[in-house]
Amino acid sequence: MKRCFMQAAAATAAAALAIPALAAEVLPGATVAERALNGAKEYIEKHGLENPKLTMLLSSLYRNSMPDFTREWTELTGVEIENVPLGYTDIPAKVMAEATAKTGVYDIFNDFPYSMPDAVGAGVVVPLDEYAERGQPDFSGTAPGLRFQQYYQGSLYNMVLDGDHIILVLRKDLVENPAVIEDYRAKFGKAPGCPETMAEWEEMAAYFNTGEGETRWGMTFDKPLYGAVAYRSINFSYRHFPAYLGGLMFDADMNPTINTPNGVRAIKQFASIVRYMPPDVQGWGTPQIYPFWRTGNAFSAMSFPSIVGNANSSPDSVVKGKQLACTIPKVDVGGGEMVSRAPQAAGTGYMVSRYGKHPELAYYFIQWFTSESVGDRAIAHPKGFWDPFRTSNLTNEAITARFGRQFLDTTMENSKNAVSLLLLEGNYEYFNILDKHLASVMNANITAAEAAALIEKGWNDVTEDIGRDYQVAAWRSGVESGIYLDKFE
Amino acid sequence: MAGSRQPAAAGAAPPSRGRPPPGRRLAAWLSQERVFRLIPFIAVEAVFILVIIIPFILTIYISLLRWRANRPFEQANFSGFLNYGRVLGKDEFWMALGRTFYFAGAAVILELLIGFVLAYLLHRHFRGRRLYITIFLAPMMVVPVVVGYNFSMIYVDSGPLNEILAPFLEPFGIDPRIRWLSHPLAAQWAIILADVWQWTSLTFLIFLSGFAALPQQLVDAARVLGASPSQIFWRVHLPLLKPAIIIAVVIRSMEALKMFDPVVLLTFGGPGISTQTIAYYLWQEVWVFNKYSYGAAASILLLIFFAVFIFLGIWLLVRQRESVRRVDV
Repeated sequence: MKRCFMQAAAATAAAALAIPALAAEVLPGATVAERALNGAKEYIEKHGLENPKLTMLLSSLYRNSMPDFTREWTELTGVEIENVPLGYTDIPAKVMAEATAKTGVYDIFNDFPYSMPDAVGAGVVVPLDEYAERGQPDFSGTAPGLRFQQYYQGSLYNMVLDGDHIILVLRKDLVENPAVIEDYRAKFGKAPGCPETMAEWEEMAAYFNTGEGETRWGMTFDKPLYGAVAYRSINFSYRHFPAYLGGLMFDADMNPTINTPNGVRAIKQFASIVRYMPPDVQGWGTPQIYPFWRTGNAFSAMSFPSIVGNANSSPDSVVKGKQLACTIPKVDVGGGEMVSRAPQAAGTGYMVSRYGKHPELAYYFIQWFTSESVGDRAIAHPKGFWDPFRTSNLTNEAITARFGRQFLDTTMENSKNAVSLLLLEGNYEYFNILDKHLASVMNANITAAEAAALIEKGWNDVTEDIGRDYQVAAWRSGVESGIYLDKFE
Repeated sequence: MAGSRQPAAAGAAPPSRGRPPPGRRLAAWLSQERVFRLIPFIAVEAVFILVIIIPFILTIYISLLRWRANRPFEQANFSGFLNYGRVLGKDEFWMALGRTFYFAGAAVILELLIGFVLAYLLHRHFRGRRLYITIFLAPMMVVPVVVGYNFSMIYVDSGPLNEILAPFLEPFGIDPRIRWLSHPLAAQWAIILADVWQWTSLTFLIFLSGFAALPQQLVDAARVLGASPSQIFWRVHLPLLKPAIIIAVVIRSMEALKMFDPVVLLTFGGPGISTQTIAYYLWQEVWVFNKYSYGAAASILLLIFFAVFIFLGIWLLVRQRESVRRVDV
């Protein structure tokens, strides 16, 4: 008996000693980028690869900036990366086609974080946890709403280098104009500035909305000055709506929360401000909104944060140096509780294909590229569309020079309220249902209450079609991780 | 052992004296009349089976499954006619189908009328005729993406179209800033007009060929008998052009029912779903929402609907030809 006990004890001790040895060995290197480089070199040596090549399905927004980094990676490791640029609206379909075709033609997929659930469900991307255990990426300095959007159902699938959470920008030259201040103060009892609430933003939009040929504050407006401009078209409305809802879209059992007083309030508020926007706004995407903002014919814009850098760097911009960045205004979600939410409206991340030739090697490129030392350079890249999102960006001189201190401080403050868009399988269908009914409200075809009921029904149909139990598990996991900031009551 | 090798060596006769090599035998076999005449038939059938039959059967098979592409195909399960029921019970499907017929109907009528008038004006020879024909045929050759982009610029709120319309609308108190791409009704007509601009060229071409093929002696005879130009048009030109008209209707209807490019390029189906055609609806269900089985079922149903519609057109065409042939006889 004693002998048995001794044997068991020895086996337990041996097993305990063996556990650290079995655990993944962390790669050598003082920084995240160094570890990724060493990992890549080790992988190439171990597998005896000669002239290895990876292929990345790249969002075409980055066709002029990403090659600078893939070239650098090739010089450092010998791994060539071929970029295949494609419009971001087409990338999800390509990813899903690859899930069925399994060609292995792509090693890396570059797309929005919310493309991840469908890709994971289809099994076309691999979890990165095992590689990350060795490479030890550093996600500290990133707000929870942005950090946890890299995970789905508890596993790391996507590494994000982009703080594309929406922001509000005002015309600084107008809010600092003495004549405007005097008039505004007389009317509202305070000087104009960043609005505290969405209701106040709409109030400001109404105040600044000026017709063609009108003379105000000693200026004559040859063209109309619209009080606001923001995304209100199909494929864009859903990216902004969470800022108005200010809470979770579903309860713990995936019952939609849209058909509630708060949901109806959010729809009304989302639609109401449209009257101070350009009449065509429901057909506008970024190619229309950015140039319009640059013409100076709007007082405010709620947009992707890159609108600020774009208006500062475009030669045709009349608002260069005249922009005041603001955090997303708060909404009253009921009972006087005021909440600010800045949805990560786009933002690009990088996933590894299951069918690629070298998933581990692909991972090391992603870790290297999204690391602080390389990623910060990417954010500062003059031809890039990557936006600041982590604390290291605050101290980076090139990033400060590109975006300006005021914007940088504001977007970092805003990132504390950053929330992910719906990270669930079938999310594009949920989004579409929301968008088309919001459009119906904006066109006064249906009321906000009717839209809420229709959205609720549509969302429930999608949930049932995909499988309620499955969706509930994914939803709860996401909420618990903190990507939406809000928790179940 | 040597004895055993001897018969083999004797048997190894030179190829020219015994059976020809396999390649030559195959060539000889293929060149036989009974085989050779089957080769084109087999090749065509093979292509037909590979390109049409197999994908078609696969589409039917997928339509009977319960499968979204966000799950591996291996997890798909048989669901019978569930997807067909869902498609038929979906309001959006019927609305998109109805809208498609409305767009196609409006666009094809306008294309026929304008194409016919242009062809009528240009069917006689005059100086500069070729230049006009070239100009009127040009839109058809422009890439649809370019057409979509150009029209998106033309339709901008403060764009050239509204600038042109302003002097005509303002006297009647109508706001000249028409929201071509964001007002539901205006957006529908924006798409129809873009389609008309591009495809009137085709109907023009068909009618121009029709006019060129008109038997001049019938027109001359009518003129000798004292028919007025109007009578010649209504009693001679138009009846003889009926086959061309039906060809134009069938060809353009087939294309217009698949209207997709202007919708994607101008409105993305919006505002709301007011410009969503059936082709756009299907694309979205399959490639955006990953509902492959649902999309397959909808495609099969559409095939049936459109086949009925197109067969009706072809039946009219055949009937018309037969009546013309009877008159000729």
